[in-house]
Amino acid sequence: MKRALERLRQLPRANERFNIFNSVNLSAAQQVMPSEKPLGNLVVGIKDNIVTKKLPTTCSSGVLAGYMSPYDATVVELLDEAGAVTAGKTNMDEFGMGSGGIHSFFGPTLNPAFPERPTVAGGSSSGSAAAVAAGVVDFALGTDTGGSVRMPAAYTSTVGFKPSYGRVSRHGVIAYAQSLDTVGIGARDVGLVRRVFEVLDRHDPKDPTSLPDELRQQAAALRREKKHLKIGIPAELLHGSVAAEIRERLLVVLDKLQAQGHELYPVSVPAVKNSLLVYYMLAPAEAASNLARYDGIRYGCRDEDLDMSDEVLFAPTRGKFGKEVKNRIVLGNYNLCSGAFKNNYMKAQKLRVELINQFDSIFAFENICTGNKPNPAGVDVLLSLTCMAPPPSLEAFTSKENKSPVNSYINDVFTVPMSLAGLPCISVPLAGMKGVGIQLTAQFADDYGLLDAAEDVMQEQLN
Amino acid sequence: STRGAAEVLHAAPKYALRCGLEIHTQLNTRNKLFSLSTNDPFQAAATPNYHTSFFDISLPGTQPRLNYEAVLYAIKLSLALDCRVNLKSQFDRKHYFYGDQPLGYQITQHYNPIAKDGKLCLYGAYDNIPEDEKTIGIIQLQLEQDTGRSLYKDTDGMTLIDLNRSNVPLVEMVTQPDFTDVKQVRAFVKKYQNLVRHLNISTGDLETGAMRVDVNMSVNGHARVELKNLPNTSSITNAIRYEYQRQVDIIRSGQADKMLKDVETRGWTGSATIKLRSKESTIDYRYMPDPEIPVLLLEPEVVHRVATALPELPDQTLRKLMAEPYNLSLKDAKILTTNSNSHGNFYTHHDLRNYFMKTFQLFTAKTGASNSKLPANWIIHELLGIINKLEIPLPKILQLLPASHFAEFLALIHDNELSKSSAKLLLFHIINDFKESHCSNLALPDFRLLIEQYNLNPLNEVEEHALTELCQYVLRELNDDALVADLVSGKKKNALKFLLGKGMRLSQGKVDPALLEGAFKSVLGIKW
Repeated sequence: MKRALERLRQLPRANERFNIFNSVNLSAAQQVMPSEKPLGNLVVGIKDNIVTKKLPTTCSSGVLAGYMSPYDATVVELLDEAGAVTAGKTNMDEFGMGSGGIHSFFGPTLNPAFPERPTVAGGSSSGSAAAVAAGVVDFALGTDTGGSVRMPAAYTSTVGFKPSYGRVSRHGVIAYAQSLDTVGIGARDVGLVRRVFEVLDRHDPKDPTSLPDELRQQAAALRREKKHLKIGIPAELLHGSVAAEIRERLLVVLDKLQAQGHELYPVSVPAVKNSLLVYYMLAPAEAASNLARYDGIRYGCRDEDLDMSDEVLFAPTRGKFGKEVKNRIVLGNYNLCSGAFKNNYMKAQKLRVELINQFDSIFAFENICTGNKPNPAGVDVLLSLTCMAPPPSLEAFTSKENKSPVNSYINDVFTVPMSLAGLPCISVPLAGMKGVGIQLTAQFADDYGLLDAAEDVMQEQLN
Repeated sequence: STRGAAEVLHAAPKYALRCGLEIHTQLNTRNKLFSLSTNDPFQAAATPNYHTSFFDISLPGTQPRLNYEAVLYAIKLSLALDCRVNLKSQFDRKHYFYGDQPLGYQITQHYNPIAKDGKLCLYGAYDNIPEDEKTIGIIQLQLEQDTGRSLYKDTDGMTLIDLNRSNVPLVEMVTQPDFTDVKQVRAFVKKYQNLVRHLNISTGDLETGAMRVDVNMSVNGHARVELKNLPNTSSITNAIRYEYQRQVDIIRSGQADKMLKDVETRGWTGSATIKLRSKESTIDYRYMPDPEIPVLLLEPEVVHRVATALPELPDQTLRKLMAEPYNLSLKDAKILTTNSNSHGNFYTHHDLRNYFMKTFQLFTAKTGASNSKLPANWIIHELLGIINKLEIPLPKILQLLPASHFAEFLALIHDNELSKSSAKLLLFHIINDFKESHCSNLALPDFRLLIEQYNLNPLNEVEEHALTELCQYVLRELNDDALVADLVSGKKKNALKFLLGKGMRLSQGKVDPALLEGAFKSVLGIKW
């Protein structure tokens, strides 16, 4: 209780400094009380694209300014039942679109790990990661579509976990690209991430993509606790552009892991090189479609004068979307045009399946969804970096992106392949290198195996 | 004019009509297609936006959950239309902005619809088409969401939006362009309408919009014109006739290359077709597979079981009723297989047919009469007439007169224990009494007792030939040709009363005076 109250006491100052929250629960302190519940008196920040009855839900967009949802997301209900205390709704890139946390109606989130100069926190779950890094929450919920939980976790030197697709309910999570969206968890240590995951990891009949109970049981039955891991290092994720300093730190970690008896293997997933292309073909298409509902008629903001321009319905209202969202809507609609659809969208879907098949061929754990045969000699987890470099300053990020939005799309290169394959994935801080994360990936539905491995890796780094 | 066009349709085969239909049919499932809201788009007109869930109004974070009842209904229709049911179909998004389209897209089945490649056969004998037989190919059936409704208020420039209809399940059925004559179109629409009612998957009403017909037509292979806003059968046929004439006129005037070059959408004003959209303003719907509705996978066993449980189709029933042992006329058989309208009827064709078949079977067993017309005449004509006159629903009648009982009643007629005229009076009397008891007196009527009670025994009753004899006897006894001549000419109409009095006295009052009056008139050939 004491710790919770202390965190809440620090919140206003941190918020003022780093722009972490879009809305704050002013009665949070009163909700702290003796509790035996699994997450009793743990303070949580909830990304502002997860709907809550008691606080507004805006997706950091002018289009949804002041929107109050009449229902709670399933994950919010589960956290309430488990005794967590909501601190507020965290800032983010508008509708989840961005990797810097700067594309927000409420202004950019700043990185508490770099208090000396304004630095990006990473996106799109910028406020969630910043809240954890600033110590004003115990844990935070984010969403991860192409790296949106892992990237900010790396940039803020915290832990960010993206579960397998379908393990945590998306009911009440405002869609960016449903075939990729997942709810992720950020915290300072893997143990707490696991405790929260155990609360959220259940089938939800309200979510049509929620993993059915039979498959969850099947995955649980496949699980083996291992003292020594087979760790794969994917060649496609060892970029030449990564700074020597970071490579050296990474090699230190690998040496330590080997010294502890873990085995390292070079592996190759050639389809990874298509990932960015596939991702930017599919995700904006889904986004353009999902954002079509924001016409201002039933909720949200509406243009006061016009409902139409150049005979296009709702164009003035929809003009309230931010720049990056507009870019992606245009890109997505282009991908869906009847002329481009077969060559782009359908091809991207094929390449996505190819990528999944290649991942299946290197893991020892069976993919319970695809029916592909596992590789008995395969690896347990993949190890790579979460990002290419520590976070840039706000100024550098902004000027680079202004030159071309594609510059920030490239930031997703390490995180997007796992999203396309729906794999569980976690970013843990790289010891001795502030703002950089190690990314561990496991086979689909092997979430607990991944968390075990992440705890090991965190531990070994301390040794 | 419309009439002129109709003549042209037959007279000028050198202007060949080619026509296809797209029919949207609302399924009468309990819930909507992707939510648990009540599916009741019309009854709730007084309470707009009442049957709406968070999903139906597209609140952020909501997700679709497929209603399998709608899938079942679509499979039934697919099988009845002889389609191949796709064991793997999926849902796609069709994007366009509109005030009553809350998602900004419609969830439909574009790339992989639930069923393909079917047919519906029209027959000269049943469907009132000039050909003996005409097969209309079905391209596909797709499940999709209905939109909400916009009500435009001109006075204050406001548009009211009612989302009760939003997300109501629809089946869109698309035919091949196989129609060559407007009669075929009319026959198809009626037959399809009857089919969805027969399968009990839709009210099939055009008037309420539960069934909506769009027409695609072209003449002599020129560009296709799509006709929309056709609210009833006569609009459909009149619009086709008008549009046919319009296109024939264009072709005749040599302007087809210019005026019938591009695909066009036209509406029907009630007297003319008018241009709504042309090729330039066509929307790119940007179809995309829905990323979160699971692919719809069907086990072959499921489809097989639906097929097995499918009721006999109307054509099969018609064929059966028109053959041995029933030998019904087409008109009578249709009464037992076609729902004329889903509202305000006192019976369903289904109930009536079951009653008829059961009665027929019991009557045959009782009397040994193998192909009597009695059951048909008495159920389809007499009983139905009384039901409509007294406004008593058939299910009530079934409580009063179960098939076994009605068969017994018919047997009395068949065995000449009850004359037809008395039987008519008796049946009416029984049902009228029942109605006056507010349908509460459910004691089965004892026909023999009633015959006794009302003295309807044919031995006591004067049959038609006996009446004739009675009249002739009275006239012979009277032997007054002058009086008869004045009576027949109408000069002395009162003389008829005089003759009636004599006749009633002779029969000791057992004759119905009205019947006797009729008999005198027919014997004397009185025309007035």
